[in-house]
Amino acid sequence: MELCLAAAEAAEGDEQVEAFAEERSTTSVDAHRGEVEGLTFAESRGVGVRVISDGRLGFAHAADPSIDELREAVGRARANAAVASPDPFNALPAVESVEPIEGLFSETLAGMKTDEKVPIALDMERMATTTDPRVRKTESVRYGDAVGSVAIASSRGVRAEYRATGCWCVVVTLAEQDDDTQTGFSYRIARSIDELDQSSVVGEAVERAARMLGAVKPETAKVPVVLDPVAASAFLGVLSDGLSADAVQKQRSLFGPLVGEQVGSGNLTIVDDGRLLDGPGASPFDGEGVPTGRHELVTAGVLNGFLHNTYTALRGETRSTGNAVRGYRSTPGVGTTNLFVEPGDRSLEQLLREAEGGVLVQDVSGVHSGANPVSGEFSVGATGLRISGGAPGEPVREMTIASTIPEMLQSVWALGSELRWFSSVGVPYILLREMTLAGV
Amino acid sequence: MLDRDLAADILRAARARGGAFAELYVEERLGVSVHLDDGKVEEVTTGLDRGAGVRVGHGTSFGYAYSNRLDREALLQAAEAAAASVDEGGPGSVVDLRELEPPVIHAAQIDASSIPTEQKVAWVREADEAARALGPEIVQVTASYGDSVQRVLVAASDGRWVEELRPRVRLSVNAVAARDGNIQTGFHGPAGLAGTELIDANPPAATAEVAARRAITMLDAAPAPAGETAVVLAPGMGGVLFHEAVGHPLEADIVDKEASVYRGRIGEKLASEILNGVDDATVPNAWGSFSFDDEGAPAQRTPMFEDGVLLGWLYDRLRAEKDGVESSGNGRRQSYAHPPIPRMTNTYILNGSSTPEQIVADTQRGVFVTALAGGQTNPATGDFVFGCAEAYLIDKGELTTPVRGANLIGRAIEVMSSVDAIAADFDIWPGICGKDGQGVPVGSGSPTVRISRMTVGGTGA
Repeated sequence: MELCLAAAEAAEGDEQVEAFAEERSTTSVDAHRGEVEGLTFAESRGVGVRVISDGRLGFAHAADPSIDELREAVGRARANAAVASPDPFNALPAVESVEPIEGLFSETLAGMKTDEKVPIALDMERMATTTDPRVRKTESVRYGDAVGSVAIASSRGVRAEYRATGCWCVVVTLAEQDDDTQTGFSYRIARSIDELDQSSVVGEAVERAARMLGAVKPETAKVPVVLDPVAASAFLGVLSDGLSADAVQKQRSLFGPLVGEQVGSGNLTIVDDGRLLDGPGASPFDGEGVPTGRHELVTAGVLNGFLHNTYTALRGETRSTGNAVRGYRSTPGVGTTNLFVEPGDRSLEQLLREAEGGVLVQDVSGVHSGANPVSGEFSVGATGLRISGGAPGEPVREMTIASTIPEMLQSVWALGSELRWFSSVGVPYILLREMTLAGV
Repeated sequence: MLDRDLAADILRAARARGGAFAELYVEERLGVSVHLDDGKVEEVTTGLDRGAGVRVGHGTSFGYAYSNRLDREALLQAAEAAAASVDEGGPGSVVDLRELEPPVIHAAQIDASSIPTEQKVAWVREADEAARALGPEIVQVTASYGDSVQRVLVAASDGRWVEELRPRVRLSVNAVAARDGNIQTGFHGPAGLAGTELIDANPPAATAEVAARRAITMLDAAPAPAGETAVVLAPGMGGVLFHEAVGHPLEADIVDKEASVYRGRIGEKLASEILNGVDDATVPNAWGSFSFDDEGAPAQRTPMFEDGVLLGWLYDRLRAEKDGVESSGNGRRQSYAHPPIPRMTNTYILNGSSTPEQIVADTQRGVFVTALAGGQTNPATGDFVFGCAEAYLIDKGELTTPVRGANLIGRAIEVMSSVDAIAADFDIWPGICGKDGQGVPVGSGSPTVRISRMTVGGTGA
C-alpha cells in the first residue's frame, strides 16, 4: 500500500496516476502412482502503474519493485502515455465507498505448511485408485491453494485493499475394462481447507469414469437433456464473453442489440455477484477500486444489460458495474466476478424423472473452439448416460450437439437446486426440453 | 544478477533432503509493447519482470518453487519448499560453480532499447496505413510491436553456471477484409532473437501488405473440395506441420508417458527417404534459438530424421537422466514461474533437390497451401487436423483459384512417408508453441514440400 500511495502522489499537473499492487503465494501438489509427481510453490508480488494524460493511456509494471524502481515505472508509464492515441473515454474512477467482505481470508489455510499439503494429494490419489476395481490409475490428481492480497491507490483519492484465500482440488481418474478406457473429472473449490470435501471429489471422479465404461455411440435423436454442472459450466463460460460491454462495443457479442428482449426461457436468471462469499471470485472492489455488486444480467429470460469497467461505462454513458478484471501486469479489461445461473427448486431425481428417455450429458468437449462467439452457433462433442426409469443408465459417447446459444437458452426447462462452482462460474443441473444429439 | 556464494547456499538448502540434483534459474526481463487496434495506438506498455525458480529433481519427479523476490530470505524459503518433495534422509552435495562457455552467441546488432518509443509507435502506424492502402476491403487492422531483453542465469548442483542475454523483437499484423458480408483475416509476423535490425530487414509496410493481401485474396476463395488429393506446402508451412505432427511426439516426456506414436521405433524408416529433419537451437538469431537451454545445457543441432529414418528424442534433463543419455538441450520454460519441460527450438525440414516451379508443374490436381491456421494433434496416435489460412487449387500443374475452409487431415507416419518432392527454397515461420500451459518462441521451417496423397476436408464439391 505504501508503494501504491507513493505512485499515486507522483502525479504531475492534470494527469491521473493509479497503482495496483498484488501479492500472492500459491502451492500445488501433484500425486501420481503413490508419489509426489510435482510440487510447486510460488510467491509473487508486483505493481502496475497507469498514467492518463490528455486522454492518452500509458502503462508500466514492475515485479517486486523498490521505491526507486516504482518511480521509474511511473516515469515509463508517463512516457508511454505521451506517444499513445488520445481517447476521451480513458479515465480513472472517482472514489466510492467500499464495504469489506467478512470471511474472504482463512487464517487456517494461510498458516498451513507445505509438508501438511503433500499428504492431501497423496491421500486423494490413493483413495482414487483403491475404491473401485476398474479404476486403478489416475491421469491427474492435484491439490492447490493461494493466499493473496491486493491494494490500489490513485491520484483521484482511491485507497483500498483486501486479502483472500482459496484452495481447490482436481481429480481425473482412468477406468479400464477390456479394451475400453474412460476418464472421470471432478473439481472442488473453497475458501479454507476444512470446507474442501476431498472424499466427495474423489468419489465423483471414480464414479464418472467407471459409469462410462462400455459406452456406445447412440442413434441420432431429439430428446430431453440434463446437463451436469461440469457440462453446463463450459457453456456458461462461452456465454460470459458476450455479456461484457467491451465485446458489445467492439461488435463481438451476439447479445449486443438484444437488451430488453427475451433471450432465454422464463426459468433462466443469470447473475454476476462480486460480493457473494460462496463464489471463488468474490472481492470488495474491482481492478480499478470500484465496489463490486450484484448484477442481474438476465432476469426470467430478459436481457437487462452488460458488465462494465470505467472505460466501457464512459463510452456507453453508464456506470461501471465493478467488473474491471486484471493482474498487476496488465491494464483492466472487463470480466466476470462470480457468474452464475440462479438455481431452481428441483432435486436431481426430479430432473431425471422429467427427462425420461433423454440423456444426462456429463462432459462436453471443444466448446471454446467449437462455438462461434459472434453468431452463437456451436457444435460440440458430448458423452453421458441414457436416462431410463428416472435414473442414469447405459453410457453413450461420440455424440455431437449442434445448436445455437440462443436456442439453448430458450430451451431451459427446469433447474436443480444446488449450485456448483468451477473456478468463478456457478451452475446447477439444467434440464433442456429438447436437443438433437447426433450419433449414428 | 546473483552472486555465486549466495547461489551455492541456495543450492545446498535445496539439496538438504537429497534428490538427484538441485537447480536455480534466475531471470530478468524488460520489455516494451505497442498495440494498435481500430486505427488507434490503444496501449503502450513497459514491463519489468524478474524472479527465480528452484528445482529439486529425483527420478522424473520434481519439487519446484519460485519467487519474484531475489533476496536471500525469499530464495532460501523457495529452496526449502522445493526440497519438501523429497526425503532421502541426508543432504546431497553441491559442486563448485564454474562458468560454461556458450557454443554460440545471438547478439543484437541494434539494441531495441536504444530506439525511442516514438519510432516504435511510428512502425505500427506505418503498418496500419500500408494495410489499409491495399484496398477498401480492408476494414480492420491490428498491429503489434514488441521487444524484450531476457537475462538468464542457471546454476546447478553439478557445478554448471551459465549466463545469457536474449534480445527479442517481433512486429505482427492482423488484417480483416470484408466484402458483401464475407469476412476473411490475414496474419503475418516476422520475429527474431535479434535487435531492431529485424524491422529494417522486414519493413512494417511489407509485413502489413502480406497480411492484408492474404485477407483480400481469401475473399475470392471458393469452398475447398473434400477428398484425397496431393498437397503442396509453401516454404515454412511444411515446418509447421512437421513441428506439430512429428516434433511433439518426439519430445521425451511424451515418449516417457507412453503417449507417442513413435515410442520404441528409433532406427526405423518412418518417413520418406528424401526427408531430413532437425531441431536446431544454434541457428544465428532465429526466433527459437538460444546459447543455453533453460537448464544450462548448451544449444545444439539435433538430427530427428535422416533419409527418413527416426534418429532419436528431444530431451530435457529429467528424461535424459532417466534414459542414461545426455540432454539434447531441449529443456525450456516460459519463465521463472514454470518448471522446464522438453520443447522444440527451431524445427526444420532440410532442403531437397527439386524446385518449387517443377513441383507445382508436376502436380495434376492438388491443393497449394501458403499459410496454415491452427491445428490439433494427438501425439499418441499421430492423428492431426490443420486448418488452412490461405490455399489455392492446383489444376494440371498450375495454381488456380483460392480456396477456403480446407482442413488437412492425416496421420503423422503415413503423411511423412508420402512426401515425394522437396525443393531448396527454405524459409521459416516464427510462432509461440504452447504445451502444458507454457508458451515458448519456436521457429518452424521448410522448403516447398509435396505430399503425394492426403485427405483434405472441405465443404465444396
